[in-house]
Amino acid sequence: MSASVRRAPVLLEEAARLLVPVILIASVWLLLRGHNAPGGGFIGGMVAVSATALVGVTRGADAALRGLPLGALRLSCLGVLVALAAGLPALFTGAPYMTHLWGELFGVKVSTVLVFDLGVYLAVWGGLGGLCAAALGLEEDAP
Amino acid sequence: MTPATARPDAHAPPAHGTSRWAWAAVVPLALFAAVLWQAYAYRGDWAFSWAWAPEIGVEAAFNVDGLALLMLALIGGIGSFVFVYAGGYMAGMAQRGRLFATLLVFMAAMAGTVTADHLILMLVFWEATSLASFLLVGFKHEYESARKSAQQALVVTAGGGLCLLAGALLLGQIAGTYSISALLADTRWVSDPLAPTAMLLVALGALTKSAQLPFHFWLPNAMAAPTPVSAYLHSATMVKLGVYLLARFDPALGDREWWSQSLVALGALTAFWSMLLALRERDLKRILAWSTVSALGTLVMLIGLPGAAPPGAVAAFLLAHALYKAPLFFVAGNVDHCTGTRNIDRICGLAPHMPWTAAAALLAAASMAGMPFSLGFAAKELIKAAKADSEVWAWVGYSSIGVSVIAVAVAGVAAFRVFWHQRSAVTLPEIHEAGWAMRWPPLLVAALGIALGLFPGLAAPMLDGAADAMRAATAIDEAMPPLDASMAGTVALTLASGVLLYLLWDRVHDAMDRVLRALEPLSMLAWYGRLMAGIPALAAAVTRRVQPGRLDLTLLLCAAVAAAVLLGAVLLVAPVPLSTLPLLPEGLGMTVASALLLAVSVLALLPRSPLLLLLLSGFAGLASAAFFLFAAAPDVALTQFTVEVAFIVVASVLIIRFTRGRAARAERGERRLPRAIVALASGIAVALLLAATTALPQDDAQAAYFGRTSVPEANGLNVVNVILVDFRAVDTLGEIAVVAAAALALMPLLLRLLRRTRGAGGGA
Repeated sequence: MSASVRRAPVLLEEAARLLVPVILIASVWLLLRGHNAPGGGFIGGMVAVSATALVGVTRGADAALRGLPLGALRLSCLGVLVALAAGLPALFTGAPYMTHLWGELFGVKVSTVLVFDLGVYLAVWGGLGGLCAAALGLEEDAP
Repeated sequence: MTPATARPDAHAPPAHGTSRWAWAAVVPLALFAAVLWQAYAYRGDWAFSWAWAPEIGVEAAFNVDGLALLMLALIGGIGSFVFVYAGGYMAGMAQRGRLFATLLVFMAAMAGTVTADHLILMLVFWEATSLASFLLVGFKHEYESARKSAQQALVVTAGGGLCLLAGALLLGQIAGTYSISALLADTRWVSDPLAPTAMLLVALGALTKSAQLPFHFWLPNAMAAPTPVSAYLHSATMVKLGVYLLARFDPALGDREWWSQSLVALGALTAFWSMLLALRERDLKRILAWSTVSALGTLVMLIGLPGAAPPGAVAAFLLAHALYKAPLFFVAGNVDHCTGTRNIDRICGLAPHMPWTAAAALLAAASMAGMPFSLGFAAKELIKAAKADSEVWAWVGYSSIGVSVIAVAVAGVAAFRVFWHQRSAVTLPEIHEAGWAMRWPPLLVAALGIALGLFPGLAAPMLDGAADAMRAATAIDEAMPPLDASMAGTVALTLASGVLLYLLWDRVHDAMDRVLRALEPLSMLAWYGRLMAGIPALAAAVTRRVQPGRLDLTLLLCAAVAAAVLLGAVLLVAPVPLSTLPLLPEGLGMTVASALLLAVSVLALLPRSPLLLLLLSGFAGLASAAFFLFAAAPDVALTQFTVEVAFIVVASVLIIRFTRGRAARAERGERRLPRAIVALASGIAVALLLAATTALPQDDAQAAYFGRTSVPEANGLNVVNVILVDFRAVDTLGEIAVVAAAALALMPLLLRLLRRTRGAGGGA
């Protein structure tokens, strides 16, 4: 099978060019609203994964893998580390690990919850997005 | 590559000098000094403990009583000489550091086993000695025979260790304590109907470790270990752990017939049978190994004997055996080291070349043969007195006479045939005497065996302490009958028979060899081989059945098993009254979603193309997402939706790419009926399970708590998300770690496949 067979229809490819940034922005929006409305790190991460899958379908696995910041594995592990770190500040206040802290920054409510959810988002996007992208690149073995 | 015929413990070329590792002997020496101090100056038990895992009632409790002290004396005393000897034996050999390190670990584990006062703690140390033995037997792991012997030793002793674990847990259950001293202080648990089972399991652990019938076969094969290891583990200390454990528990069980009589029978049988097997060997080390098994059998028999005399005999023989068998192993090591062989047909008349070794051999052999004025003689008299004290079966008496006679002959082979017997048929290689580190340990230890025979009072405090720890025992000095003429008669008779057997050794050997060769297929070793060949054969047969090499069949089997288990669980454990099954969904949205779901599922039965099937199942997923949406669970719906989309996209692309043009052909010959049955069963099982779960009264307390506290405590309106990131955040952390770990495992495989197909296809 040559590359021409796997080429996506022009229409889809052009649509994807527009859609992928929109989907990614939507995923971040889902991540941010998650605490008070449907959404959150996992759902946001999965939406980002579908953006990566769309890139994989239209422009190939390599482009999709390149599209993941830092690379799939590093992104996923970074996510786990961020989530792990989100529980640490509580230790300085004497509370048990993973007790979330809340505060205000320039009039906006911020908390370690968001940091934790960001970790979930990154771990899901990197791990599952990487697997989807790499799977999309598989071909049959040449005999 | 190493030649297949070479022995794993072969020792060439002999190196001179002493390894610096011999300084490690200060560790056992320090232990030995502490033991002497406690036995002769402190004179009392010494117990200490601290909490190890209090949640499960395990404490690190140690109790050093007389019996433990005698074992520690062997571990430290013989250990010191073993380390020095090994320094000479291993000089210039590769990886000798590993040997010494493992020996030190072994020594610590041994000391822990005999002093631990908590069953579980003792087991940990016990297993550590088995592992150390495995590592040391397999020290020359480049030889297949060494690997096989190590595996054999581990399978037998660790298998026994598992029995011991089960027995210890059972004992703890019925007695309510794991403390060994408490078990012995309050013996009401012995009347429990489960006590014989528990003690049988404990005894299995002890008998495998001490190589009693029918587990006797592993010990001679363990001679693949370097000789210092054989002297230390497989003669002086580790194999005596089984004897130690039986002696430890004997005070609680000594008055039970089933316990004492089976020990007497088994011990006597082992002692006699293994001595017969010694007659068959030509390898000096293996001859000594069989006589070690025999000595262990004698010890087990003594433990089973009732009365006040046997404990003293056990203690004396433990010490005497260590003091003559360790030097004899050293001697065998020297012979091997200096001539390159241990086959008694290829060596003779070594005394002029190796005078020091020959002298050590003579001293040790005198004790082994039970010559007067040796510790072996004293031990033998004590054994005789112990047997005279109680009624034993006649065959036990005859068998121990046989054992003594063969012991004399074996001692003759080790000390006389090898060193003094001259035969012209044998041409000797160039021989030199061993270095000082290999010359002094056998001589000193053997001389100690004679010295303690001359002055038994020196060892008496320690031996009496050990005997008293078993049960109220006669003091060694009183039990020891004075020398008289009748004694001289029996000694002379035993000696004469032994010498006769020694002279006939070759002829007896040929006869034994013929008989045993005929019995070979029935031997335990043959059964062990069958077991070892049977395990992979069984595994292969099962694997062929359940994994026929086709993914769809394997998956079908998995689904069938899962459905059967679920159905069984639901129907047998929690039968569902059918009236509770909710038949209609509530509300228009849920009704439409359910109808859609049902329609798509029925449609999915029709097409044979995998792509169509995948798309239909995707629709089913979307329909269930819609169902969740109307069931007031928007987060679940969103999750279902996003996962479904990503999966369908990737899977459909792969199906299109992999099945183009071949899908119809591959499907044609399939039988659909089994799949339909499995699918139907899975569906029914899941439906019943759901019905059973929803039929249970629901506990809303948690849901109510989360709903109540979500905003005030976690500042979040979305309860699902609050649970995920706050109330149960650590769970979520574990889950994303699983995602990352799965990616870590899979990505390299996928990327490798990607590169390979790129390379082969040459495109893109």
